[in-house]
Amino acid sequence: MPKLTIDGREIEVEAGTTIIQAAELLGIEIPRFCYHERLAIAGNCRMCLVEVEKMPKPVASCAMPINEGMVVKTNTPTVKNARQGVMEFLLLNHPLDCPICDQGGECDLQDQAMAYGKDHSRCDEQKRAVDKKNFGPLIETAMTRCIQCTRCVRFANEIAGAPELGALGRGEHMEITTYLNQALDSELSGNLIDLCPVGALTNKPASFTYRSWELKSTESVDAMDALGSAIRIDTRGNQVIRILPRVNDDVNEEWLSDRSRFACDGLSLQRLDKPYVRRDGKLAATTWSDALSVLAAKVKSSMTGRMAFIAGDHSDAETLVAAKDLAAAMGTTHLDCRQDGAALEAGLRASYLFNSTIAGIEHADALLIVGSNPRIEAAVFNARVRKRWLTGKLKVAVIGPKVDLTYKYEWLGDNPSILADIAAGTHPFAATLKAAANPALILGQGAVARTDGSAVLGLARKVADTTGMVKDGWNGFNVLHTAASRVGALDLGFVPGTGGKNVAEIVAAAGKGELDVLFLLGADEIDISGLGSTFVVYIGSHGDFGAHRADVVLPGAAYTEKNATFVNTEGRVQRTRLATFPPGEAKEDWKVVAAVAEALGKALPYTTLSQVRERLSAVNPVFAQIDMVAPASWGTFGQDGSVLPQPLTSTIKTFYAVDPISRSSKTMAQCQAAFGEDQCQRKTGTHG
Amino acid sequence: MNAITIYVPIDSAARSVGADDVAEVIQTEAAKRGIEIKLVRNGTRGMLWLEPLVEVATPAGRIAYGPVTVNDVAGLFKADFLKGSPHHLSRGLTDQIPWLKSQERLTFARLGITDPLNPDDYVAHGGLAGLIKALPLSPAAIVAEVAESGLRGRGGAGFPAGIKWKTVHDAVADEKFVCCNADEGDSGTFADRMVMEDDPFMLIEGMTIAAIATGATQGYIYVRSEYPQAKLHLEKAIAIALDHKWLGDNILGSGHRFHLDVRVGAGAYVCGEETAMLESLEGKRGIVRDKPPIPALVGLWGKPTLVNNVLTLASVPVILAKGAAFYKNYGVGKSLGTQAFQLAGNIKQGGLVEKSFGVSLDELINGYGGGTHTGRPIRAVQVGGPLGSYVPAHQLTIAADYETLTSIGAIMGHGGIVVFDDTVDMARQAHFAMEFCAEESCGKCTPCRIGSTRGVEVMNHIIAGTKVPENLKLLDELCEIMATGSLCAMGGLTPLPVRSAMTHFPEDFHKHPPATQRVA
Repeated sequence: MPKLTIDGREIEVEAGTTIIQAAELLGIEIPRFCYHERLAIAGNCRMCLVEVEKMPKPVASCAMPINEGMVVKTNTPTVKNARQGVMEFLLLNHPLDCPICDQGGECDLQDQAMAYGKDHSRCDEQKRAVDKKNFGPLIETAMTRCIQCTRCVRFANEIAGAPELGALGRGEHMEITTYLNQALDSELSGNLIDLCPVGALTNKPASFTYRSWELKSTESVDAMDALGSAIRIDTRGNQVIRILPRVNDDVNEEWLSDRSRFACDGLSLQRLDKPYVRRDGKLAATTWSDALSVLAAKVKSSMTGRMAFIAGDHSDAETLVAAKDLAAAMGTTHLDCRQDGAALEAGLRASYLFNSTIAGIEHADALLIVGSNPRIEAAVFNARVRKRWLTGKLKVAVIGPKVDLTYKYEWLGDNPSILADIAAGTHPFAATLKAAANPALILGQGAVARTDGSAVLGLARKVADTTGMVKDGWNGFNVLHTAASRVGALDLGFVPGTGGKNVAEIVAAAGKGELDVLFLLGADEIDISGLGSTFVVYIGSHGDFGAHRADVVLPGAAYTEKNATFVNTEGRVQRTRLATFPPGEAKEDWKVVAAVAEALGKALPYTTLSQVRERLSAVNPVFAQIDMVAPASWGTFGQDGSVLPQPLTSTIKTFYAVDPISRSSKTMAQCQAAFGEDQCQRKTGTHG
Repeated sequence: MNAITIYVPIDSAARSVGADDVAEVIQTEAAKRGIEIKLVRNGTRGMLWLEPLVEVATPAGRIAYGPVTVNDVAGLFKADFLKGSPHHLSRGLTDQIPWLKSQERLTFARLGITDPLNPDDYVAHGGLAGLIKALPLSPAAIVAEVAESGLRGRGGAGFPAGIKWKTVHDAVADEKFVCCNADEGDSGTFADRMVMEDDPFMLIEGMTIAAIATGATQGYIYVRSEYPQAKLHLEKAIAIALDHKWLGDNILGSGHRFHLDVRVGAGAYVCGEETAMLESLEGKRGIVRDKPPIPALVGLWGKPTLVNNVLTLASVPVILAKGAAFYKNYGVGKSLGTQAFQLAGNIKQGGLVEKSFGVSLDELINGYGGGTHTGRPIRAVQVGGPLGSYVPAHQLTIAADYETLTSIGAIMGHGGIVVFDDTVDMARQAHFAMEFCAEESCGKCTPCRIGSTRGVEVMNHIIAGTKVPENLKLLDELCEIMATGSLCAMGGLTPLPVRSAMTHFPEDFHKHPPATQRVA
C-alpha cells in the first residue's frame, strides 16, 4: 500500500484513495462543497485545494489519487489564500440571507465562511439572481443561493436514477433545473435536501417552521417500510418537525425514502389521543377505565375461542409478544400478522428473511425479482440494486409488473409458472442464475399474498435450490417485506396456532358472526367492511379504517413515540427510541395490551420494558441480538402444487399512502396529487 | 493546344475575399474568348494577403497573380496571363516568392499545390508515404518513432505526443478511440482549418497512423460549427479514403481496421478543452472533466482515447515518411520540428508561416508580416490565442519556441500571433480577455465562473477611473485565484493576457480620469 505524507504526518493507505480521504483518516479536515463520498467526483467547487510537492499548482484533493511518496500540505499560505479566494468568489454571488434561510445553522457555506470568509465584500455589484425552480411538493428551492456544486444532479443521475435534474446555461448563467421545470419524480428526492451544502434546496413541508438549533434530535429507526433505515427524529416540544437519515452502511447507507422522511406531519394528524367507546352507533370519547370495563364486559360474555387478534404493519415486537401471551391466556389460537394474506410461515427463519442481507446484494451478480416493485416497496434498497447494476456486474430479470425500476432488466413475463420453468432449468434465465457466482432472488409480497402463495413460495424455493443460490457463505433467497412489523411477528410466531384461523378466515368468521371479539393491533389494511357485527377493539395511533369501525378504541403510540423493537426484512433486530411522547392519553401499545389483559383478569407476568424484552428473548433468542443479522439455516418450505395464471404484481399501489401515518399526512397527499395515482405503474420506456 | 490549368483557391479565406466570383469570371472570360482552360480549385498557399491568388500552370512552373479581383480578370487575359506574361498583379513563380520560398513547409508541404479532394494529387505529392511506411511497423515501433521525433501537442499545451501515444498504446481495453480536436476557437488562428479544407487526406492519414499505433478502431474529428467547409471537405475526403481503402476494415490490405467520423460542435470555445470535447462528443453538455483520470486511460465513453490537435496529427505522416531523425533536425532544444505560425490582426502580410521553432517573433512579424497593416508602430503582440499573453514590442526579438516564450511569461498556444499597433488601449484588451472568459466559461468551477464575470466588472471600474489602485489590487488577486484554482486551462490562463497587459502597459490602466473629474 502506498505511503504519503500530509502536513508532516505519514500514512499508508490503499491504492486509489484520494488525498481528501487520506487526510480524513488522519483527522485532517479539508473543506469541501462539491465532494461527497457517495457521489462521483466532480472537482468543481475548488474549496478543497491543497499543495502537493512537485506539482506546479494547488490540486483539488477530492479528485487527486495518492501516489507513493506524495508530500501534501493542507496548511500553507497558498492553500489558505486559495480557499479564501474561492470563498470570496462564492460569497460574491451567494445572498447573505442566512437569517431567513432554513439552512441557517447547519449550512456548510456558513460554517466554512467562519473559517475562510471575510467580514466585508470588496465588490459592490449586483449579486447573481436566479429564478426559483419547481422541484415538486417536497423540495423548496432558492436557486439564487446555489453554488453550482452539482451534488443534486449527481445524486439524481447516479443514485436515484431519475435523470431529470441537470444544468442549463454556461458560465455565470449556469442554472440547476429539472427537465422542463417539472417536479422531480423520485422516491428518494428528499436526499437532495441533505446533500445541498447551502440553502438552495430545503425541506418544503417544514419551510419557515423551525431553526435548526431549536430542534432536539433522537436517533431511531424507521418503520415506514420493512428496511429499518437509521433515522434521526428532530423534534421541538412534542412535535416531530422533520426526519433525517443517519448513516447505516448495512441498511440505508445515508439515504431515506420520501415516505419515511416526509410522512412525519401525519404523526400529529388524525391521532387517537383518548379512548373511545361506541355508544348508539357513534364513537364517544371516554376514560381508560370506562373503555376497559366496556371491553371486559363484552369479553366476559363471549365464549372461549370466539376471540381473534390481527397485528398491523407497525406493531412492535413488545406489543406482539404481549398480545400473543394475552391470546394464549384467553385460550384462542386465532391470531395472525399477515394482513395481506402472505403465505409465509413462521418457524423456518430463512423462508421469510432477506437472507443475502441488503448490503449483500452488492455481491450478487444475477438477480431475479418476483412479484415485487422494489422501487416503491423499498426505495432505498432499490437504489442499492441500481448501485450494483451500475457497476455492470449485475444482471436483473423480473417476473411481475413491467415498471421503471431505474435500472435495465430482462422482463420474463408476469406469470408465476415461469418460476417452474426456471426451477426445471428449461428457461434461459436458469442458465444465467446457475452461471452466476452469487445468484439471488427477491420474492415480493405480491408473489405470496395470493391464494396460490404457498405454491409460488415453494417454486421460488426450488429455484433457489436448483440454481445454486444457497451455499456456504451465500444465501440469495430473499423475501422483501413491506411491513415493519412482519419479520418480528413471524419470529414471535404471531400466526394461527393449532386450529387457529388466519386473517382471511378471521375476517370471514367475523362476517358470519362466528367471532365475538376481534382485536386490531393497528391493523387497517384488512377488509374492514366485512367484519359483520363482531365487537372490534382497535389499539393503534391513528383514526384510520380500523378505528372507524371499532367498538372500543384504545389509543396507542406511533413508532416515534416509543422505545420499541422492530425486526427488518433481513432479520435485523433494531430499536426505536422515544422522540416525543404519545399524544393526550395515548400509551405505548404493549402497555395498552397489558392493561387490557389486566382488565380481563389475565394480568401479564411483566410490567416493565426490560421484563417484556426478557420475555421476547425467551420466545425467540434472536431478540437478544440487537443490530445483528444471524445467518438463518436453510430447509424445505412452501407447498408443491400448481400456480394460477393471474399476473404477479406488487402489493403496494401507491407509494405515498400505504399506512395510517402516510394516509394522514398532508404532504403525502400533495405528492399523490403531484405525481398521480399511476406513479407506481411508471412504464419502462424503451427497455424491458 | 492543351487546356491551360488555372488555379483559384477554394479555401474559405480566399472565398471570403471573392475567389468564387473570380473563378466564375475567369471561366466566363475564357469561354467568351474561346480559350479552353482547366480550372482547378486548389487549397490556399497560405499567403492570405495575396488572396484571391490565381495561378497559371506554365512550362516554367506555376505563376502567381494576386490579389485578383473580378475587375482584374479581363486585364489579365488581355495581358495574356495564360502564358505567364507580366502584369502588375504578377508575383512571378509561386515557388520563388520569398515569403513562401523561405518557409520550412514540412506539414504544409502540399498546401495550395493540390486539389484538396483529389486523391491522385495527394499521392502524387507525397501523400500516403507515411501510412505506407507505418503499415509494416509494429504499433510500438510507430509510437517510438513519434516519440523520437520530439513532436509535441500543437493544441497549446505542448505535451509530448510520444508519451501520450504510449499511454494509450499500453492501456488494455476492448475498444480505443482517436479523437482529433478540430475545435479551433482561438482568435487569429486558422491552421487547423487549412489542413481540413485544403489537405484533408493528410489528417486522415495521420489519424489512421495514430489509430494503428494505439490500437484504436474508431476515430472522431470534432469540428467547430463555424467551419462548414472543413466539415464538407472532411466528409468527402473520408468517403474517398474509404473507397481507396485508406480507411475501413482492411486498410491497404494490411488487416488494420479504422473508421472515421466527423462530429460538429455547437459553438462553445471550451469544447476545445479535450475533456469538454469528449463530453460533447458523447452528446452531453460541453463541460470540463476533472483529471485524473486522463483521457488516454479513461476517455470517450470511458475508453482509452488519444486526443490530439489537428496539427499534431497532421505532422505525423511526414514524420513517418521521412523519419524522426529528419523531423527533429528542425527546431531548437525541446521544441523540435516546425510550427505553423498564423499571422493575423493588424498585419500587412498575414497568413500561414511554417518555420522551425526558434524563429524570432520579429522575423515572423516584421519579416514575413511586413509590420502593421496601418503602417503604425507595433505596440503589442498577442501570442497563443485569446488566453495568451501580450508581448510588448521591445520583446519581439525573442525566439518563438515553447521554453523561451515560457521564460518571458508567454505561451506558444496554437501558434496564433495577433498584432496591435500603437493605438491599442491595453486596458480594454485586458477587459476583453475577462469578457471572453465570462462568455465562454463552462460554469463548472468556481474561480473561472465567478472570477471572470467579476473581473469584467472590476475592469469596468478601472477603465472608468474608479478607485483604480484598489481595483488593480483586487484584479490582481482575482487573477491569482483564477490562475491557481481553476479546473482547466480556460480559467487558469485568462489571467495571462490581463496580467501581461498590467505589467507591460501600466500606463493604460491609469489614463482614464476619475469619473467625477470627467463630469466636471
